[in-house]
Amino acid sequence: MDEVERRLASLLPRLRRFAHGLARSGPDADDLVQAAAERMLKARDQWQPGTHFEAWAYRVVRNLWIDTARSRQRREAVHAPEEQGMLVGVAGDAEARVELSYLMRALDRLPDEQREAVVLVMIEGKSYAEAAEVLEVPMGTLTSRLVRGRQALMAAVEG
Amino acid sequence: MGADPVDEAAIIAWVDGELTGAEAARVEAAVANDADWRALADRHRRMKARFAAAFAPLARPPAEVISLADVRARRAANAVPAPSYGWRRWAAGGAIAASLVVGLFVLQDRGGSPGGGVPAPVAVALNDQLSGDAGPVRVALSFRDRKGQYCRSFTGDTLSGIACRAGTDWQMRYTAPGSAPATDYRMAGTDGARATAIMGMIAGEPLDRAQEDSARRANWR
Repeated sequence: MDEVERRLASLLPRLRRFAHGLARSGPDADDLVQAAAERMLKARDQWQPGTHFEAWAYRVVRNLWIDTARSRQRREAVHAPEEQGMLVGVAGDAEARVELSYLMRALDRLPDEQREAVVLVMIEGKSYAEAAEVLEVPMGTLTSRLVRGRQALMAAVEG
Repeated sequence: MGADPVDEAAIIAWVDGELTGAEAARVEAAVANDADWRALADRHRRMKARFAAAFAPLARPPAEVISLADVRARRAANAVPAPSYGWRRWAAGGAIAASLVVGLFVLQDRGGSPGGGVPAPVAVALNDQLSGDAGPVRVALSFRDRKGQYCRSFTGDTLSGIACRAGTDWQMRYTAPGSAPATDYRMAGTDGARATAIMGMIAGEPLDRAQEDSARRANWR
C-alpha cells in the first residue's frame, strides 16, 4: 500500500460515517463512500503530500455527493420510496438503528449546504476552520449555515 | 434575553468549543445569569450529543481497504476462459473500472455479530444449494477467498451478503439488506457494493457448477 492507500484505509470508517450523514440511506451512503474511495485512488496525484489529506478526502466525498444529488433527486421523485432503506453496517440493537434512521431523515430535510455544515461539525467533530476548509467557504458562511441548520434540526427532532 | 450581548450563534459556537477569551466569558456569563440562554445551550448540547452518539458506531471499524492490484495481476497472469456467470458480468458494470478498487467490507450485526454466524435458513441454503437453485434463500456465487476458505454470496428476504466457511459454520463477511421489499434501484446499488466486496475477497475464479457440487460433497471444507 502506498501513502494514499494507507491514509485512506485509516480514514475510511469516518468517511463512511460522514457519508451516512449526507446520504439518504445506508446503501446510498456505502455506495457514496465506495465511489469516493475509487475516485481518490484514481486521482491520487491531486493530493500533495504535506497538505491536509483529511480535508481532501472529505471534500471528495462531499463533491461526489453534490454531483450525484441532482440525478438522485430525479430518481427518487420517480420512485418515492416510503422507507429510506435499511441501515447496513450499523452495529447495535434495533432501537439504535431506528434512532439513526430517524436522525438521518431529519438531516435529509435540511438544504444541502446546511446539512453538510451540520454533519461536519456535529457528527464528524470538525472545528469550524476545518469544516470551512472542506467546504471551501469563508468562516462566516460556514457559521451562518451551521446556525440555520441547527435551528431547523432542533425544531424537527424536538418536535 | 433579547438585550443580552449574545445570540444563538454565539451559544452554538460556545457549545462547539469554538469560543475563547472574552467571547467565551460573555457566553458563560449569559448562560450563568439567564435561564433561557442556559436552556438553549442545554438543548444544543443535548442535540449534538444525540447525533454524535447515534452516528458513532458507523465510524468504528471493521471496514478495511483492500488493494485489488494484486488480485488483478494474478488474474491476468493465469487468465482462463471466464464462466458465463460471476464477477466478470458485474465487472462490466463500470463501477469496477478503476485501476485499483477499494473494497469496503461492512461487517455487521444482522443475524450475527461482525464475523458472526448466519441464521439457520441461510446456513441450510449455503450447505445444500448450488448457485442458482430456487429457494427462500438463493445462492448466487461461490468462490475461495485468499485463505482458501469457501465463500458464497446469497440473497434472502431479510438478509443478503457473503458468508465464508469457518470450521463447520458459516460466518458473515459482508452484509446487505434482504431482497424484499427493496426497490429496484436500491438493489442495483447494493449489488454493486457486493460485487466490489467479492472482488476484494476472491482468489482465482468463481466455482463452476461441477466444482460447487464437489465442494458441497466435501461439506465445503
